Amino acid sequence: MISPPPDVAVQVRDLRKSYTVHEKDPGLMGSVRSFFNRRSHEVEAVKGVSFDLAPGEVVGFLGPNGAGKTTTLKMLSGLLHPTGGTARVAGFEPRKRETPFLKQITLVMGQKQQLIWDLPALDSFLVNQAIYEIPEAQYQATMREFTEVLGLEGILKKQVRKLSLGERMKCELAAALLHRPRVLFLDEPTIGLDVNMQESVRAFVRDYNQRFEATVILTSHYMADVTALARRILVIDAGQLVFDGDLASLAEQSSGGKRVRLQLRQPISLADLSRYGNDARIDGLSAELSVPRSEVSARAARLLADLDVADLTVEDPPIEAVMAELFGAGREKAAESVTGSVAASVA
Amino acid sequence: MTRYFRLIRIFTGATISAQLEYRANFLGAVLASLGEVGVALLGIAVLFGQPGTVSVGGYSFHQALLVVGFFMLTEGFISVFVQPNMSKIAEAVRTGSMDFTLLKPIDAQFNVSTRNLNVLRLTDILIGLGLIVYAASFLTVTPGGVVAAAVMYLSALVIVYCIWLALSTTAFWFVKTQNMSELFSGVFGAGRFPVTAFPVPVRAFLTFVVPIAFITTVPAQALTGGLSPLLALASPLVAAVLFVGSRLFWKKAVGSYTSASS
Repeated sequence: MISPPPDVAVQVRDLRKSYTVHEKDPGLMGSVRSFFNRRSHEVEAVKGVSFDLAPGEVVGFLGPNGAGKTTTLKMLSGLLHPTGGTARVAGFEPRKRETPFLKQITLVMGQKQQLIWDLPALDSFLVNQAIYEIPEAQYQATMREFTEVLGLEGILKKQVRKLSLGERMKCELAAALLHRPRVLFLDEPTIGLDVNMQESVRAFVRDYNQRFEATVILTSHYMADVTALARRILVIDAGQLVFDGDLASLAEQSSGGKRVRLQLRQPISLADLSRYGNDARIDGLSAELSVPRSEVSARAARLLADLDVADLTVEDPPIEAVMAELFGAGREKAAESVTGSVAASVA
Repeated sequence: MTRYFRLIRIFTGATISAQLEYRANFLGAVLASLGEVGVALLGIAVLFGQPGTVSVGGYSFHQALLVVGFFMLTEGFISVFVQPNMSKIAEAVRTGSMDFTLLKPIDAQFNVSTRNLNVLRLTDILIGLGLIVYAASFLTVTPGGVVAAAVMYLSALVIVYCIWLALSTTAFWFVKTQNMSELFSGVFGAGRFPVTAFPVPVRAFLTFVVPIAFITTVPAQALTGGLSPLLALASPLVAAVLFVGSRLFWKKAVGSYTSASS
């Protein structure tokens, strides 16, 4: 195939992956039957995904569990061989796992670890320095930067098994980025971390992206990760790309419109409140409801006129709500309406 | 090439440091070595302890001791260099940490084969060498015999490594494979006796099906000058074939890797 122009860091065309999986009935008898007679069937995890990423771009990769996010990342990093379609990353075909390719990428998985358990993280860093042939001066400089941005001071010489989850994740990130990769695949890098740790991981990724103009693909269950880091969002569902665009237009996909929050001086019944908008909720003197985008100011004026309002705010719906809507009841309709925009942005 | 030597040095440093974390483990390892050599010696003591027995399968007591020496040496080689690495392959496939190994810009087979050492079992190697030197001092050994034995034994080590690698590589498909290495240990136990001590069908099995004969008996024969030219040629050849074969098998396994989901 023709190699992509240099201003494309990642090019994916009609990427597909199917697995053979074994199934087993529950219980001991099911296990015995399955031991002698494996029943298996093909599962299509990724069904023809296409997109391009520019160098330095940060994208959030969203979708429900089992949508094919991790499988796609593993194909792009070269771990899994696609069963169809093509992928090019930094000018290479990932599945060949050539040395110059591997030196330009990294894969961070929040649920797996590469650090040597019984030794301080510094020992794992030295191993990676040797494996990636990082010159001493560059290694020292990178370590200084990482130590400062991640706050590694004081934890580098403790055995990894004695670190907290957050400390360990910081060291994992440092180990994975020591060779200054140009393309980062981050699979749930903040999973299980407390809010402060999540924030420092985000700050580090942002800093790294800016400093080295690295391309970043990030999956996360925490919307805050995605909204803080990525301007562009790819949504994958059931193995297919159902949305490709920026955060704001993802919010507009939501039919619920804007969310109005009220602080009241006098209680009001749910039935009364529901006359002003959809999905109304009341908790004591706090209330909220959704109103169509086009009617926000008119409805707000009516609310202020009719009710005894202490405070009123208007917000975009939280991205969680948009995702819930995309993957919840309105899934069919939502998927339909967005495929149009995907086609437009690819063409 | 120098890069790979440098990597071995760094891996070795890291794995030794990791073991120094657990001091109590050292005592256990020494006891295990002593137990191992005790069982091996007991075996030939029973054979030669019978009144009137001066040779078993054409082997004198000291020749048989030589075989035990090579057995212990190999046992030590496995405990120190092979088993600590190979047992981690299945674990890495199961937990998914194999992902990181495969994404490193160095040969993955080299990586999984050199990352760990169990230095605590170095005593096995010392005991094995000691037994060989002791037994050889009662036998006539020529410089040519020493060279031949060294070549035969190097081939033997390659054979041992390849069998372990091939058995451990099955983890890519079967995930849990501890019983595979148990299988090897079980069959390898036969290596503490000269292969000629067994009936002909067993001897053939231990030479051609599982090449245990090449690991302990052949080097011992080479050292004392009793090796047939045919076996002398066969040993490096078997080693080379197994090396290529196990490497191809490894490549195939890595190609069909499905990676544990996160």
